Amino acid sequence: MLYSDIYQTAKSAILAHRMRSLLTMLGIIIGVGSTVLMVSVGRSFERYILDQVESFSSHLIEVYPTGFEKFGRSTDSLTFSDYEAVKKLSTVESVAPVIFVTEKVVYGTEEVSPYVFGTTKEFFNNYSLKVEDGRILNDADVSGARSVAVLAAQAAEDLFGDKNPVGERIRVGERFYTVVGVMQSLGSALLQDLDTPVYVPFTTARAQTGQKFLSYMSMKSTIDDDALAMADITSLLRQRHSIENPDNDYDKDDFRARSAAQATEIVGTVGLGLTAFIGLIAGISLVVGGIGIMNIMLVSVSERTREIGLRKAVGATRQDILRQFLMEAVSLTLLGGIIGIIGGASIGALLAAIASKFIGHVPFVLSIPALIAAVSMALGTGLVFGLYPARKAAEKSPMEAIRWEG
Amino acid sequence: MASKQVPLIETVDLRKSYFSEELETAVLHGLNLTINEEEFVSIMGPSGSGKSTLMHILGFLDQPTSGKYLFRGEATRTMTDDELAAIRATRVSFVFQAFNLLPRTTVLENVMLPLLYHPTIPASERRDRAMHAIETVGLGDRATYYTNQLSGGQQQRTAIARALVTEPDVIFADEPTGNLDSKSGNQVMEAIQELHAAGGRTIILVTHEQNTAQHAKRIIHLRDGHIDSDTTKFKRLNAKKNHNLTK
Repeated sequence: MLYSDIYQTAKSAILAHRMRSLLTMLGIIIGVGSTVLMVSVGRSFERYILDQVESFSSHLIEVYPTGFEKFGRSTDSLTFSDYEAVKKLSTVESVAPVIFVTEKVVYGTEEVSPYVFGTTKEFFNNYSLKVEDGRILNDADVSGARSVAVLAAQAAEDLFGDKNPVGERIRVGERFYTVVGVMQSLGSALLQDLDTPVYVPFTTARAQTGQKFLSYMSMKSTIDDDALAMADITSLLRQRHSIENPDNDYDKDDFRARSAAQATEIVGTVGLGLTAFIGLIAGISLVVGGIGIMNIMLVSVSERTREIGLRKAVGATRQDILRQFLMEAVSLTLLGGIIGIIGGASIGALLAAIASKFIGHVPFVLSIPALIAAVSMALGTGLVFGLYPARKAAEKSPMEAIRWEG
Repeated sequence: MASKQVPLIETVDLRKSYFSEELETAVLHGLNLTINEEEFVSIMGPSGSGKSTLMHILGFLDQPTSGKYLFRGEATRTMTDDELAAIRATRVSFVFQAFNLLPRTTVLENVMLPLLYHPTIPASERRDRAMHAIETVGLGDRATYYTNQLSGGQQQRTAIARALVTEPDVIFADEPTGNLDSKSGNQVMEAIQELHAAGGRTIILVTHEQNTAQHAKRIIHLRDGHIDSDTTKFKRLNAKKNHNLTK
């Protein structure tokens, strides 16, 4: 029997029993559909997060004192002269020192407790922050230790409401500052933290707090490989802090360098784990779908006993019957898989479009490997769960044709 | 012996028993039978006489328990499933009492069905051969009809076209008029008769109706798994059981 004949025979059997075929496929449609949906939702949000992170932080490197993340370790490790030294490295540019001022910020009767960053103009460049009104901090502010402040969008709204803050005076702790600029909102749920700070000149903050050490430094690497720049920074700071650490044991360091690239790697790793988990659920749902197929195929085989008998009576071999029923099972699962993909992808695209209205652009990502995996799993399910019914069909005797009663 | 004289069908002490649990029920008690090419034979007998069992074995739908069945002089007991399937595809075909047409398919598709399993007829010839067979039974204008749109007689003639289409050596007809009224039954028997008259085919008709059986030149009566009589018209010969005139 030719393969085209097997296919035609399977096709007419499927079309002749549309309702049963649909029911047979249902498990696969739902299994594949939900897999494609879940994977594409997962991948879309992963892409969304990465886009957000990358939009403000390509080549961004931050250097913290170890005590910043480890309880019991001193935060007093990065000095102003460390900052001056790092600035001279050829692999980094746009270095910004940061000193936190832990004071309340007051305007009139409004009082908020934001992060107050004492920093330089490079900070705004590093995080791609854009000015909405007025200006950002400049070199003169820093060199003159002026009492000027720049408000992030949320800080401005909390303190001033609808009023324009530029030119107004705010109080940070005991010291008054004149607002010279307001930053644009980043407009993203993910980056809310960057919408809340108040920025003052680095030198003014140092004078107000008496801090001799830096809270942290942010900078951009000048080369594509952030890891090389980080190695440069690390060896420079170890040398300056007299730390012998040839084995890169981070516990020996009193500082820690981190790049945004590492953060995106973590997002990627989490995403991968999530995808594997979804894959597992998908596998289970396909097995359930496969059992459904086997059930209905078995019913179909016993219902069509006489048809099988007739086919054998006119010369069909076991192989012919086996292939016909396998082809039916595989065609059904493949068709179900395709319907599932279209359905799952459509719902995924719809969800991405809806989400985009609320939290900024969410790209719709259709994972091609996931599609291929879903289709091949559906095919495999058809083959595995179609085999038993097909064998039962193939074992039928041509004598069954005789017991036909119309 | 010249090849021309090798009988188409020859059985020697053919026996068939069915087993259920420990119980053996013998249906055929050692039949010796010879049927030559181009014969038209009726096998008659009351129900339980073994006529259907004999037809199943001669038609390669079933295997005997013991004894020999030679088809064109070739022993068939040792044939594999696939070899039997190949014989069913090329050498023999059936017309059943209940027509056994595929539901929800057209006359043409039904008649083309055996060609799907035919080892040598190319796919490109299927449609022409099927149409030719359909025209032979007078249903040329009904080829695209679904079989449930046809009368009983037309359905059985579709089944005859299906039996013809592979140009087999033998056509077995199992109570072909059993589900039909007498008018349709006569038309079907005329179609079978014409088929035989056209030559080249052996026809074995299994029936319990005397009228239907009379269409054949030779009538074999079975009773309790034995050959009760074997009569050929015109020669007016009458042999008692287990005798074989053509031998």
